Amino acid sequence: MTLLAVSNLTKRYRRGNKTIAAVDDVSFHIDPGETLALAGPSGSGKSTIARLALRLIEPDDGRIDFEGGDFLALSGAALRARRARLQMVFQDPLAAFNPRATVARVLDDPLRIHGIASRGERPRRIAALLERVGLTADLAPRAIHEISGGQRQRVAIARAIATKPSLIVLDEAVSALDVSVRGEILELLLDLQRQEKIAYLFISHDLGVIRSVAHRVILLDAGRIAENGDARTVIDAPQSAIGKALVAAAPRLNRTGP
Amino acid sequence: MSPLRRFLRTPEAVAGAILLAALIAMALSASLLFPGDPQAITGPALLPPFQDWSLPLGTDRLGRDVLAELFHGARTSLAVGLAAAAAALVVGAVVGTLAGFAGGLVDEVLMRITDAFQTVPSFLLALAFVSVVGPSLGVVVIAIALGTWTGPARVARAEVLSIRERDYVAGARVIGMHPLAIAFREVLPNALPPVLAMSSVIVAAAILTEAALSFLGLGDPNRVTWGGMIAEGRAVLRTAPFLSIVPGIALVLTVLGVYLAGEGIVETTAVRRGLS
Repeated sequence: MTLLAVSNLTKRYRRGNKTIAAVDDVSFHIDPGETLALAGPSGSGKSTIARLALRLIEPDDGRIDFEGGDFLALSGAALRARRARLQMVFQDPLAAFNPRATVARVLDDPLRIHGIASRGERPRRIAALLERVGLTADLAPRAIHEISGGQRQRVAIARAIATKPSLIVLDEAVSALDVSVRGEILELLLDLQRQEKIAYLFISHDLGVIRSVAHRVILLDAGRIAENGDARTVIDAPQSAIGKALVAAAPRLNRTGP
Repeated sequence: MSPLRRFLRTPEAVAGAILLAALIAMALSASLLFPGDPQAITGPALLPPFQDWSLPLGTDRLGRDVLAELFHGARTSLAVGLAAAAAALVVGAVVGTLAGFAGGLVDEVLMRITDAFQTVPSFLLALAFVSVVGPSLGVVVIAIALGTWTGPARVARAEVLSIRERDYVAGARVIGMHPLAIAFREVLPNALPPVLAMSSVIVAAAILTEAALSFLGLGDPNRVTWGGMIAEGRAVLRTAPFLSIVPGIALVLTVLGVYLAGEGIVETTAVRRGLS
């Protein structure tokens, strides 16, 4: 069964009297437990697709089916309840949290909103979530701005898995982290996928990372799908012009020669 | 460095704090130092200041103790100033947050209402309201708040419009938080600092408006007010100018104190926000 099916998704923006299609007739699907990567240059529509899939912005055209139901038809309380199954991790882990929040409050919100745990039970759940993402429970009372960037992104992942989602949108979720932390976070994400069968919509401009974590990849160019296929096949031998340009621009670690 | 020590480093803030502290002390000690009715007759009429040390600031036309009236008037000024400013800030922040966060029709309607209030001079509005409803302390507070909530509303809306687009608001939507909870728990607290920065100006303006209403005879008749004292002294301005000058000075020092202390607080928090 398909987890998320997006068909003919279109989002246009009006700039002056010109209309620009940020996302132009895009269709794709994600299966349960699968990682689909969206790659492309800046302004190719990666983040717009992510925000459309999460209903943070509304499409002009197209259809989104999530867990077998019309996701665009939901509104109000039904939409808010459905959001438990579809979560997101943002690029900048500092901007993703209320600057006044503590770690405990950030994790308390989804548990309270979706009625997952009673008030008395929540501190224990929060501690378990923190330990699940490789943090210690004594971090809970700390303010978000007091902890490190890597810890913050782990808290963001803990918040995303708190409601037991089937799909998490990772919008450049490791791009702002330094290289050593990036590897640990990717390990954590892969581990969660193996254990909880979570699917990822993995948005990144880093083809190296995509090649190592994604099953399939979609290359976007100016809001349209330029290339689509198995992640390794596409990245090792891109067919489209934009694919070749992206691969050529990617920094190589295993450089040979002088 | 602690915020308090930083606050005390600026001379304006210290001067403001001392003036405010003196005012608060006056208001709190009024019924201890001058028990009984401050409007009771205690001596000969029109006694000049510094003649009789049991009545240090003399008496007014009816023989009432000016010092006692001054202390009890501090209470009214402070109560009305703070209550009116608090009401204006709360209403303004809520209206501005709803308008900025909801956008669309809600924003249009709320902002046109704000415009309507802003086009009427606020003192005229207060004057009309008190004349219609009748003078009492609560009515005076509402009348003043009616003309001053628009400023905080506009500032709150502008701030909310910028915060609304931040990632953490999107994050709150993704976890399924109710829009009203997002507006009042996530957005409003972060939009407050610039709104609170207006509080000193609003308190000062409210104290002056209350004095002006009382001067025109529209204050609460059962309470001593500085504006009422000035109005009372006007009839004998040539023979006993101190009756207007004494409450006038008190009014000037109060507004100055509120304003300076407010500026000091804004300065302190601005520095802290700049460093973090």
